[in-house]
Amino acid sequence: MSAALPEGVRASLPARARARHGWRDALTHLYASWGYQPVDLPALERYDPNHPRAAQAFKLTDRDGGLLALRSDMTPAVARLVQRTYPHLLDPEEAQRPVRLQVAGTVWQAIDPEVTRTREFTQVGVEFIGVRDPRADAELIHLARESIRLVGLRPRVEVGNPGFVKALMDEADVPEAARERLADAIDRKDVGDVRTVLEAAGVPEARGASLLATPDLYGATHLLRDAERLATGEASSAALAYLAGTLAEFDDESELLLDLGMARRLSYYTGLTFRAYTLDYGQPLLGGGRYDGALLPYAAGFSMGLERLESALALGASEPPPARVLSLDDDAAQRLRRAGIAVARAIHADPQAAHEEAKRLAIPWVLSGGALTRTPGIPVSDEEADLEREDAERERAHLESILADANA
Amino acid sequence: MLDAPVRPLVVALPKGRVLDQALHALQAAGLDLALQDDARLLRHESAGGTILVMRNGDVPTYVDLGVADVGVVGKDVLLESGRRVYEPVDLGFAKCRMSLIRPSGARGTITRVASKYPRIATRYLASIGSSAEVVPLKGNVELACIGGLADAVVDLVETGSTLTANDLEEVDVILASSARFIVNRAALKLRAGELKPLIERLRAAS
Repeated sequence: MSAALPEGVRASLPARARARHGWRDALTHLYASWGYQPVDLPALERYDPNHPRAAQAFKLTDRDGGLLALRSDMTPAVARLVQRTYPHLLDPEEAQRPVRLQVAGTVWQAIDPEVTRTREFTQVGVEFIGVRDPRADAELIHLARESIRLVGLRPRVEVGNPGFVKALMDEADVPEAARERLADAIDRKDVGDVRTVLEAAGVPEARGASLLATPDLYGATHLLRDAERLATGEASSAALAYLAGTLAEFDDESELLLDLGMARRLSYYTGLTFRAYTLDYGQPLLGGGRYDGALLPYAAGFSMGLERLESALALGASEPPPARVLSLDDDAAQRLRRAGIAVARAIHADPQAAHEEAKRLAIPWVLSGGALTRTPGIPVSDEEADLEREDAERERAHLESILADANA
Repeated sequence: MLDAPVRPLVVALPKGRVLDQALHALQAAGLDLALQDDARLLRHESAGGTILVMRNGDVPTYVDLGVADVGVVGKDVLLESGRRVYEPVDLGFAKCRMSLIRPSGARGTITRVASKYPRIATRYLASIGSSAEVVPLKGNVELACIGGLADAVVDLVETGSTLTANDLEEVDVILASSARFIVNRAALKLRAGELKPLIERLRAAS
């Protein structure tokens, strides 16, 4: 048997695993408090060549020869569940009963793994299905911002509307054959290349002027006013009005950013898209947007990868002890456990041997005969000597109060 | 208002000929950057930011992953890397072209192409409907043609004198390359206040 892991996956030791479980619980609570109900979905799916990530699917063969795939993205999985379970949402006329769902789970993508991209990762996210309204988009952007704040990072949420670039292309009569290259040049913010593509496609300078300006339309939200001058028709004006309506839902726009040059996956994202960043970290932590018509008539959502959060927070330097207390006193241990303190049961019944055991396991306290003693040589915190002594006194007082309380 | 980023700007620059030109362009655009006078140093701190000096092929990696905020690299190297970074300015120097090269007078079907740029070569061959295989090489690819390893090569051409000396000819130009100012996707947004004016000045100068 080989002990080596496949490329691009990794196991989480306690420090990471604990942090990740904590975030997942906290995010689940946040979404639930806004009315997003959890659903669990199978990790094994039928392989579908039309799936948006079909090219990145890990494929398996079923017993009857049918092709299966490991779930590669939560959003299409939710969309399929909705198609099966909420038929009223498939009717664009029926927008009276939208559903808010939240999902969390492992996904697998057969990609080239990198420092910040593993092939197996955990996605947590929400989907708001059955409504198209700036208030719905604003709710998602707000939740995206809160999600980043919840894990202790300072959020910046960048909002764009690929529908704007698409509308400008329609209004400038850009030939179909040139659109993919043009979208790519805009998305790379390569103004020189945008000019070259427009010229090669025979788009007159005056008609292409707005498209040429889109790569530089990024920054604080007041940019939207500059962009309004660049609208060249009904559809591009409507795309900006939708964006303005969404931003109007926010009292404080200081953590929001705009990029009107977002031009990726123009056929999938049909409305607002957004990404969340945190200062001094060069990768997005969360991404989402509106994908009406791609999988469902009206749908928008976002998801975040918990592994990316770990890398943004640079976790995992030190491993925490498995428990705070090693116990020889089963009754007292139960009282601490009920109060949420992790207590391990000593293997050695002799107090001297139990102290040695605590030392080997780096557990800072030993509980014996109802009394707590410090494990020699094991600090209670990573602080300097004076502060560590204070931390120890505080923790002792806390543990003893729990023990005393329960005695009363 | 947005609060200022915590760390100084990190700039990835390629070793070699382009280093001085790139540094010059950035200084002229108002960045207070300088290289310390020690050729062994890989990291140079100045008031305007930190310079990391590296092999040119590594510049897109550092910028894409956000270890560096911005960088300067040739379009050829950037395309070969396949990295999705912003490339807002064509700096105009380090001009060269990437071409398909064959022994002078060769006419038959191409079956094997040697290149230091296998990604670009593969994409080019697909675009002309050729099913030739690509042999990735690290060193002098012209040798592959002369020595018989391949019947064509995809490589950079500056003056063309190496080609003439070895009885090779340029049969098709695949792309025109020059140095690009590239920016990490998150950094452009988070540091828009300092990067947007810098990009304007770099564009005005090039």
